[in-house]
Amino acid sequence: MTDLVHAEGLSKWYGQVSGLNNVTVSIPPGITGLLGPNGAGKSTFMKLMTGQLKPSQGTIRVLGEPIWGNPPIFARIGFCPEQDAFYDRMTGLEWVTALVRLNGHSDADADAAAKRALERVELLDAAGKKIGAYSKGMRQRVKMAQALVHDPDLLILDEPLTGMDPLMRRKTIRLIKDWARAGKHIIVSSHILHEIEAMTSNILLINNGRIVAEGNVHTIRDLIDTHPHTVYVRGADPRALARRFLVEDDVLSMKFESDAVVVETARPDSFYARLTELAASGEAGQIDEVQSPDDNLQAVFKYLVKQ
Amino acid sequence: MTTGARMSFTTAARRVFDLSLGEMLWSRRTIFMALVVAGPVLLALIARGVEVFGMSALRVNGRPVPGFSIFGVMIWSLYLFFIVPVLGLFYGTALMADEVEDKTITYLFTRPVARGAVLVGKYLAYLACTILVVLPSVMIVYFMLVPFSQLPSTFGNLVIDLGLLALGLAVYGALFAFVGAFFKRPLLIGLVYTFGFQQTVLALPGSLKQFTVAFYMNALVPHVMPSDGVSSLLQSMFKENPPLWVCLFWLFAILAGFLYLATRVVERKEYILEQ
Repeated sequence: MTDLVHAEGLSKWYGQVSGLNNVTVSIPPGITGLLGPNGAGKSTFMKLMTGQLKPSQGTIRVLGEPIWGNPPIFARIGFCPEQDAFYDRMTGLEWVTALVRLNGHSDADADAAAKRALERVELLDAAGKKIGAYSKGMRQRVKMAQALVHDPDLLILDEPLTGMDPLMRRKTIRLIKDWARAGKHIIVSSHILHEIEAMTSNILLINNGRIVAEGNVHTIRDLIDTHPHTVYVRGADPRALARRFLVEDDVLSMKFESDAVVVETARPDSFYARLTELAASGEAGQIDEVQSPDDNLQAVFKYLVKQ
Repeated sequence: MTTGARMSFTTAARRVFDLSLGEMLWSRRTIFMALVVAGPVLLALIARGVEVFGMSALRVNGRPVPGFSIFGVMIWSLYLFFIVPVLGLFYGTALMADEVEDKTITYLFTRPVARGAVLVGKYLAYLACTILVVLPSVMIVYFMLVPFSQLPSTFGNLVIDLGLLALGLAVYGALFAFVGAFFKRPLLIGLVYTFGFQQTVLALPGSLKQFTVAFYMNALVPHVMPSDGVSSLLQSMFKENPPLWVCLFWLFAILAGFLYLATRVVERKEYILEQ
């Protein structure tokens, strides 16, 4: 198969501001992670590869075809955007059904496909609820559902795990990997290496609108580990969470923020594994949200750029 | 695997219409529209109340003006001059802007439908939405003002009025859909056009008025204003009578032309969402 995405001298400017700067890259089939801190150019690149933006310079082809002004190609592409934007008055089922109807499905097909997609993201029970009443994690999942509802060849996911609890993150990562095993292709962006690493070893590192590095995730892995990693955990009982975190020596420091605890860890892998187990057992109360600021990654990028 | 069929432009537009109608009907803008159309209903209610006490709601040269004539004044001066252009302006310019502002445009533009079909679908939703609110209010006003005995002789005019208002909503909506898609400050431009340019050139001699929607709409109004009143004076200033077919031809040409231009702009325009 040809490359999923091929960009040649691709640049995008917003007036005087450069969003992407002379990028030439080919993304191969399979899962590819697009990794970079906030404002690095990930979303601009994703908007260019989903035909929402027109290149200021250069070209971009997706699945072998130009993407700008080429709506038929979206029959083969599913896109989960970063923004938390919905038709809040619609139920999850109504929304996903209405969107898949735009893919040409008949009413009966659309309803069945929407239910299947909501089931895949474990949202079928809440399918009849208005999206406005969904939690952040549920909103992320319904966005995923609309992206995969038409069974696309290529899924493009912009920060899909943001706002999900640890269990749902694990399930979503499994869903993405299952999707790839079924012969589909995924491009997923994140500012958290561990999320990307859990899905694929093939990454593109992006910073300041340029591709800084591409290839195997393990080559930058060691660099990341030398920098402390910050994790924000919001839950029902932050103090109980803190007590559990202190049991192991992978936590360097902690601080409390209203209903959350912010942890600095030198061994993010082991910490995330513990966090997932903790969420599953419920020993420290319910965990509602896990976020990782991109400060950790920023340090690595500074290092890479200096090199 | 379920594969969708390739859709025609009209099917795609119809499906966008299905998606948009509910959202539009229950939006804050509809509350604004309901308040606007409540004005004439309130006036009709007051007129009716005055008549209950044996007085006349409107007198010209000391003679009471019949209910159907008051209704005609309201159609002409409130609905055609104000309500229809205002609704066309506020809805038409916001067809794409609302989706961009709410950042939901991404979901529509990453589906295999032409962007022009998205605009047309949303335009049809606007038309259905405004017709569903405006026309019932006209009927309420009619039944409140026109005595029961006059219904058989005036009902035909009511039907013409309803058709005229629907046509006005369609034409102004198409015009302002283009303004909304093309210009950066569409509301300001729309307001200047509607209440500045149109009103000014209509009051002046010359052929510039032929570049206004109101010129053709006014010519189609079936009502004659009560003589010697302010309304009749205004009507005599504003109203000319080009043939019916000329008016209809130009109104449909404006509708089709601006809707086509709007779709072309949307097809080529890059919508950048605020981060």
